Formats: sequence, structure tokens, C-alpha cells
Amino acid sequence: MHQFKITFLLFAVVALAACGQKKKPADNQTPAAAVVATADSSSQKTIVFFGNSLTAGYGLDDPSNSFPGVIKNKIDSLKLPYKVVNAGLSGETTAGGNGRIGWLLKQKIDVFLLELGANDGLRGIPVDGTSKNLQSIIDKVKAKYPDAKIVLLGMMVPPNMGADYSNKFKAVFPALASKNKVSLVPFLLKDVAGVPALNQADGIHPSVQGAKIAAQNVWVVLKDLL
Amino acid sequence: METLAVNYKRKMNIGWLFTMAWRDSRKNRSRLFLFISAIVFGIAALVAIYAFKYNVQNDINGQAATLIGADLSISGNKPVDASLTKLLDSLGDERSQERSFASMAFFPKSKGTRLIQVRALQGNFPYYGALETTPEQAGTTFKKGQMALVDKTLMLQFNAHVGDSIKIGNSLFLINGILNRAPGQSGVVAGIAPVVYIPMQYLEQTGLLKIGSRVNYSFYYKYNKPVNMDRLTKKIDPMLDKAGMRYETIEGRKESTGRNFGDLSRFLSLVGFVALLLGCVGVASAVHIYVREKITSIAIMRCLGVKASEAFLIYLIQIVGIGLIGSVTGAALGTAIQHLLPVLFKDFLPFTISVQISWMAIGQGILLGIIISILFALLPLISVRNISPLNTLRLSFNEAGLSRDPLRWLVYALIILFIVAFTFLQLDSWLGSLFFTLGILIAFMILAAVAWLLMRAMRLLINGSWSYLWRQGFANLYRPNNQTLILMVSIGLSTMFICILFFIQSILIGQVKLSSSGNQSNMILFDIQNSQKDAVAALTRKQGLPVLQQVPIVTLRIEQIRGKTAADLQKDSTIKIPHGVFAYEYRVTFRDSLSDSEKLTDGTWIGKAEPGKDVPVSVEENLAKRASLKIGDKLVFNVQGLQMPAYVASIRKVNWGKVQTNFQVVFPTGVLEDAPQFQVLLTHVSSNKVSAAFQQAIVHSFPNVSVIDLGLILSVVDELLSKISYVIRFMSAFSIITGIVVLIASVRISKYQRIQESVLLRTLGASRKQIFTITALEYLFLGSLSALTGILIAFAGSWLLAKYSFEIPYTVSYLPAVILFFIISILTVIIGLLNSRGVLNKPPLEILRTNA
Repeated sequence: MHQFKITFLLFAVVALAACGQKKKPADNQTPAAAVVATADSSSQKTIVFFGNSLTAGYGLDDPSNSFPGVIKNKIDSLKLPYKVVNAGLSGETTAGGNGRIGWLLKQKIDVFLLELGANDGLRGIPVDGTSKNLQSIIDKVKAKYPDAKIVLLGMMVPPNMGADYSNKFKAVFPALASKNKVSLVPFLLKDVAGVPALNQADGIHPSVQGAKIAAQNVWVVLKDLL
Repeated sequence: METLAVNYKRKMNIGWLFTMAWRDSRKNRSRLFLFISAIVFGIAALVAIYAFKYNVQNDINGQAATLIGADLSISGNKPVDASLTKLLDSLGDERSQERSFASMAFFPKSKGTRLIQVRALQGNFPYYGALETTPEQAGTTFKKGQMALVDKTLMLQFNAHVGDSIKIGNSLFLINGILNRAPGQSGVVAGIAPVVYIPMQYLEQTGLLKIGSRVNYSFYYKYNKPVNMDRLTKKIDPMLDKAGMRYETIEGRKESTGRNFGDLSRFLSLVGFVALLLGCVGVASAVHIYVREKITSIAIMRCLGVKASEAFLIYLIQIVGIGLIGSVTGAALGTAIQHLLPVLFKDFLPFTISVQISWMAIGQGILLGIIISILFALLPLISVRNISPLNTLRLSFNEAGLSRDPLRWLVYALIILFIVAFTFLQLDSWLGSLFFTLGILIAFMILAAVAWLLMRAMRLLINGSWSYLWRQGFANLYRPNNQTLILMVSIGLSTMFICILFFIQSILIGQVKLSSSGNQSNMILFDIQNSQKDAVAALTRKQGLPVLQQVPIVTLRIEQIRGKTAADLQKDSTIKIPHGVFAYEYRVTFRDSLSDSEKLTDGTWIGKAEPGKDVPVSVEENLAKRASLKIGDKLVFNVQGLQMPAYVASIRKVNWGKVQTNFQVVFPTGVLEDAPQFQVLLTHVSSNKVSAAFQQAIVHSFPNVSVIDLGLILSVVDELLSKISYVIRFMSAFSIITGIVVLIASVRISKYQRIQESVLLRTLGASRKQIFTITALEYLFLGSLSALTGILIAFAGSWLLAKYSFEIPYTVSYLPAVILFFIISILTVIIGLLNSRGVLNKPPLEILRTNA
């Protein structure tokens, strides 16, 4: 029945708009750790990746292949005293993230990577709103953990959205970073977006290879903060 | 005295047989006419129903083609390479291409910006249906210049008019028309972003197609001659699949659009089958009674030296003639009805039904009429073969050794074979035909058994203490030359068909849910943040729109099932839980009661969680099956970092066939209230105008909230569905009416059964009132008992049909059944009384002379 399809599609959209489709679980490294982490946070510091399906590793068979997963492996192999929490949620918009951040702040955060906005862009949500929500998230993190290091992951929308909108959208991230004096990864998907071989069949979520490159893009900035 | 030896070795004179057949028919033309009229009604019913059936099937198929607008569409999200281009160019007789993608449109006049879906079109797509626009011709003329067709709601939202411009990418397009409806749109993408069509030759200059652009490439094909789509798509599928492309056919879309198409075609098959049997009932009962009446004439002829085979052939010829005349007339009448009805009711019908002469229906009608005539005439006629002339004259003929004759069984077998074959023509499935025929056979046997029991019971029950009239009335049911069996079967079967059609159609109509009707949602708002939920709902109500549903949605995953995690799954292959169950991101809700689309199948619903204890959750049936979850199974959910122990308290069946939010897992209240969540709100907008105003208001106050307007998509589907439900109603009403006509005709032919007794009674001094009472009692009893039996069989039959053929939940409607019971009983009595009216009103002798 047509209605069935629509119900189904509703889910698809909710997920997709989140810039993911249905994401696979990021195993135990996901925010599952949120509560548990508080216990042993004394010995280890915590890095939280707060984002959408790109963070969650949507569509990857093994979510540890997502870019936070790749970074976690790197940190582990370098024996750095950090615990990585993947708080990615497919379909998350900046508004959603702003609503959800309180849940995550229950645990101590030392490094906070903010990867949101892609879903706003794909839905053509006015950039002012996106900017405001991101600012609010940063404010909340700062208020609770003033010492936390914050990294903003820059995003771009595909060119088909039109030059006007893409330029405005792109500009949100550097502007926020300089305003709040936080670190910035200029574009998370640099050298990945638009390259079919580095993306999944949907053309928007990175493949395993793509996630490695994205991780490298982030690592360049992150490594100096650890 | 010499005995006049009959030369039984003489050659058969075919010409003489025909002459005799003709002569015999002259004896009583009015009686003959009555029998022929029963055949005519039976065949007319069949031909008209078949003809309607074939026509509406074509109509609906034609309408379904507008769902995708072409015979075949192929789409993918990558540019096609050279080898695939070759394949794509080899398909179809006419080709169109489309590039579609999301973009931001700018309306210079109102300075408004909004996400749209650009569809750049080249070629004559749509081949079925049209881009319905205002002004009308814009649907084709926009391709001639740098012009665009803009979705109606979007136009309203930005107060744009035809002649204004819209900026897409770097280019300005002149708005040539308002897009009201377009074929081939599907999915929520079109709902979340209103559609703007532009000609493909102006796509390049918009500058929107660059590396990294997300574009969907579609190819539409039309075939001028019918092709075997199944074979074609099977052939091209591997190549398309390799290129990451999908295809869609009309059949495929029909299937995914919903079960209504399947329901309709199954229903039409059922109607076809019922028509077939109505035809059989009409013809068979007429022929059966006619031939039985001829037994005396046959006996006399036999006494005068006519060979058994000759007598047999004379009447066979006569029956073929009667069958032929009846069938041809019936076919003509049926075709006339089929052509006249839509004209007569033109003003009442919401849709036009095309009226093409269906030679298939006419051919089947005539063939069926003749074959059934012959087969049912054979039953009494073959027994004439073996019986001595004197024996045939005796009244006991009816009971005499009928069942022993092996030929008789052959005829039965032929009749069954024939019904199976004709059913196959309607159902296109041997198994189905077999089951249907078997069902009819069982119904027939039940009716026959009831008739037999009735006769037995009457024989035992009637005694001298009853009043004379009652005794006579009931004794008529079992005395020689009774009509109990034949009337029971024909009234019972007709009632059963009528009832089944009525039940099934009302069940089916209940399945057709139109988005435009009542409170079906056609707009979805999502990503409403918790802090916004009350304000959004208030705004919705302020705009005069209903809040049909507002639910919180929490995203979580399953961490453990019965203590096993995804990691255990990889280590231990004996755990029978698919990996996907852990991998999936569940969007769940929490509430204190079941929704109206849910039904518990197991366990108990618990609407409130007790603090500190495991959370009782309700799991959807299919998920429970996949993860083999039982009541009481322990689960651990991962609610974005928080481990939440839970257990399966109940298992629900969910009706996914509604535009509303449904969930695989439902939590009780009291645990997830503080978890990160967003809200979804469903509402119903009545027009584009309302939708535009509402979207405007939402965007203004809550820019993060996304609105999906399904109105445009649903209106295409709605039109189709309302046509389907209308067709179902029309066909069932028509079949029911023809069924009643056939029923009347088959009762009517019993007119001459009772004439001699009635006349005899009158001669002996019975008053009109007495004869009236006797007849009324007999018919009342026959009518009510067979109607009751028929209705009871119909209950069982429609339950079986609903469960196994249509696979929909069975709901009983008692009131119509009761009404039908009274209608049929009273109808039978009225016809019975009409039948004996002649006897009551005219002097006995006159009747004896004209009808002897």
C-alpha cells in the first residue's frame, strides 16, 4: 500500500536527512561509553566525537571503520591516554544536536569534536539557524567543561545546492571557529567528497577508504591537541 | 393380428430429427419462451459482467501507467558510461531523459529562498498521463524556452505567478505554468522538496552540475507494442545492477503502491467466477426443468416406435437450439446493458468506464450457454436411453435407477471439468480454479443435503393433526415431482454469491484509505525539538489544522539479547540472531497505550515503567521473529550511551499500511522522557493553499523543522485508489443485481411445476385462498431455508476468501445478511405466488387447455 511505502520512507528520510541512512552501530565505542566512562575517567581522558552519520559510520559493515574509529586505532597504537567516544547519530541536525548535547555532557569531556551541519545543508535549512545551533552547542560544552578543547569540523554542501547557498554554508564554520577561538578542520571530506571510489553507493557517505582520508584530515588538527 | 414390427435397424434420418425438434417446440411457445428467458438472463449477466470486468481492468491498468508515466524507467545516481549508454539507447521506441537534484531556488520578486527538487527534462515524458499544469498547455510548451513549471504549493508559498521568474543556480527561468500534478513522482524526496521542471537544454548553464553534485539520472521508455517486461528487465538487470542503477516497471510500481491493485484483480476474478456460476445456475435450472417436463413426450414417442437414440437426439437438437438462441440473445442483451448503463448513469458516475465491445466476453458467454445447456440436458436425457417406454410413462420415473448409470457420472465429471476450465479463464490459476470449483461443489452438496434432510424431515414430521393447508404446503416439498432440490440449489447458490460479493466488497472497501478522506495524514513535520513541541502543535492548531499524531522519537540500539552481544555473535555461530538486529539504529517511541494501528498478539501491554526495574517493552511481530524474541526475554538497550536493561513484555502486530508513525519497539512511559529525542507531528492539509500558508508559518518560526507535504504524491495515488474502490463497488452492485435477476428467473421457471396440482385442487373445490396459502407456504419454506443456508455458506466462504485469497482480516456484517435473508425469502414467495396467479384467477379448464 502506498502508505506503507511512505511510512517506510519517512524513516529513510529521517535517517537520510541526518545525512545518513540507517547507520550501523558503532559497536561498544559508541556513546555507550558515556555513562560507563565517568567511572574511569580519572585515569583516562575522553575524546568525544559528536556528529551525524559521518561520525557514526553509516553504511559501513564495521563501524570501527568510521573516521572516529580510525582515529581511535591511531590513538591506541600511539598509546595515548585517551578514550574515544563515538557519539554519532544518523540523521542528526544541528538542532537535534543542540537538544541532545545535555545527555552527553553528563560525562567528563576533554576533547570535543563537533561534526554537525551536513544534514542542515542537505535540507536547505537557513544557515543562520545552523550557525546559531552550533554556537549554542559550543557554549554548552564550554559552560560545563571550560577546559575542554573543542574542534569544529567544517562541512560543505554539494554544488547542486547552488553557489549562493553553498558559499554561505561553507562560511559558517570558519566564522564560528574564529569567533569562539576553537580549532577548525576546514573540510572533513576534503579529497573524499565527489570521488565515487571513496564513497558508498549513495554517493555521500564515505567508504572505508574514504573514512581513512577523512580521519587523516582530522588527525592533522587533532594531533596537536593531544 | 400381426404385430407391427418396428424396424430398429432403420437408418437415422437427420432431417427428420430436426423437424421433430422443431415440431415439439411449437407445442407451447410461451413456456419455451420462459425457459429461454432464464438462459438469456444467465448469459446476459455473465456477458455484461465479463465485459465490464475486461474494460475496467484495462482502465485501471491505463491509470496505473500514470504512476510512472512510462513503460520502463531506469535511474541511478552516477553518470552513465559509454557501454551503458549503448544499452540505454537500444531500449524502447520513445525515450526521455531526466536529471533531478535538490537545489535552492530563489524567487526574485518575493526574495524568498527554498529547497526545491529540480527536474531537468528532455523528450516527451510523460507518455502516460500528463504534466497537469495551469495554464494547461504549459506542460508541453515550457520545453521550448528557458522556462519552468513550478509546484503549486511552492508558488503559493512565495506568492509567485505565471510570468514571474525563478532563479535556479546561475540562471533565471520564466515561470511558464503551475504544476498541479505529475506522473512518476514518488517518495518523500518530492514531498520534502517541491518539484520544479526545467528543459534539460538549459541545465548546463545553471552551473549546478559539478564534481561532487548529487544528481539522479533517469531514463524513461515507451514501447509502442506490448513487450514482455519481465523478460526484458531480467535481461538488463545484471548490467544495470553493476552500474548501480535501478529500473521500475508499471507492474512493479503497482505492487509497491499497495495491495489495492492485487485486491482489485482478485476481486474481479471472484466476480468473473460468480458471473460464470450465475450463468450456470440460470441456464442449468432452466434446461433441467425443461427436459424433465419433456419426459412424457419422449415416452409417448418411444411407444410410437421412436428409437431411444432418436429421441435422445431430437431433444438434444432442441436444447442446442434453445441454448443457442438464449445465449446469443443473452450475449446481445449483456452487451447492450454494458453499453447503456454507463450512458444512463453518466451523471452519477464519478469516472468514465470505457465501453468497448468485448468479443472475449461474448464468445465465452455463448460457448458457456450452449455447453451448459447440453450438459444439463444430458442428465435427464441419458436416463431415457435405458428405460423402457412404459417405464418412462410412470410417475416413479424420477426415482428409478438414476444413479447407477455410468454415463451419468461421466456427465457429472464433464460438468465439473467444464467449470474448472472456465474458472481457469477467469482466475488464470489451476490451483485457484480447483479450489473454487471444489468450494462450489461443497456448497452444492451442502444445499443438496439440506434439501434432502428437509424432505426426510417433512415426511416424518407431517401428520394428521396439522391443518390441511399446512400439510399440503409442506408435503409439496417431498412429494414426487417436487422442486425442492432444484430450487434449494439455485436460490441457495445465488444467495451465497450475492452475499459473498457483498461481504468481500465491504471488506475491501474498508482497506482503501484515501489520504484526502477524513483524517488521514498527508503532511509530516519532523525534527521538531523537544523545546519546540508545544509551540509547533499550538501553531498547527492555530492554523486550523488537526494534530493527528505527535510522537517523540528516540534513537537507540540493541546492545544485548538474552545476554548475547554482537561480539558474541561473531564468536559463536550457533546464536541464531542476524547481525542486522544489533547493527540497526532503532527509532522508538514511548507511550502508555497502544495506537489504533497496533494489536497485541502475545504478552501483556505495560504502559508505565517502574523505577529501578527492568523496562517492559513491546516488540513488533517481525522484529520478534527475526531476533527470535519471546515474552520475558532480557534485552539491553543502548540509549545513546546509557545501558538500559529491559525485557519483552508484549509482542505487537502493526498495520504498516497507514500514513502514520509506527515503531518496531515501543517503550512505556517513565524511562525515556529525558533521553535525546525529537518529535514527529502528523497533520492533514486540505489544499495547496493551506499547505503553503502553514509551511510558510513553520519555516518562519521553526526553521529547523522539516516539512514533508505528501499531498501531490498522494493525489495521484488517491485518484487511482478511489477509482479502484469505485470499480469494486460498481462491479459488486452490478453483479448482485444481476444475481437477483437470475434468481428471479430461476424461480420463475418453476411456474408450470405446480399447475396441474393446483388445477386439480381447484376442480375438487379448493378455494383460491387455500391454494394461495399452500403455494405461499411451500415457497416461503424453500426460500427462507435456502437463503439461510446460502448465507451461512457465504459466511464461511467469505472468511476463507478473506483469509486465503485476499489475505485481509475478516469482518462480518450481520445486518446486511439479515436484510438479504428477508429480501430473498420474500422475493421467492412473491415469485411463487406470481407463478400461480394464472391458476388462481382463471377457470381451471381454461388453464388445463392452454397448458396441458
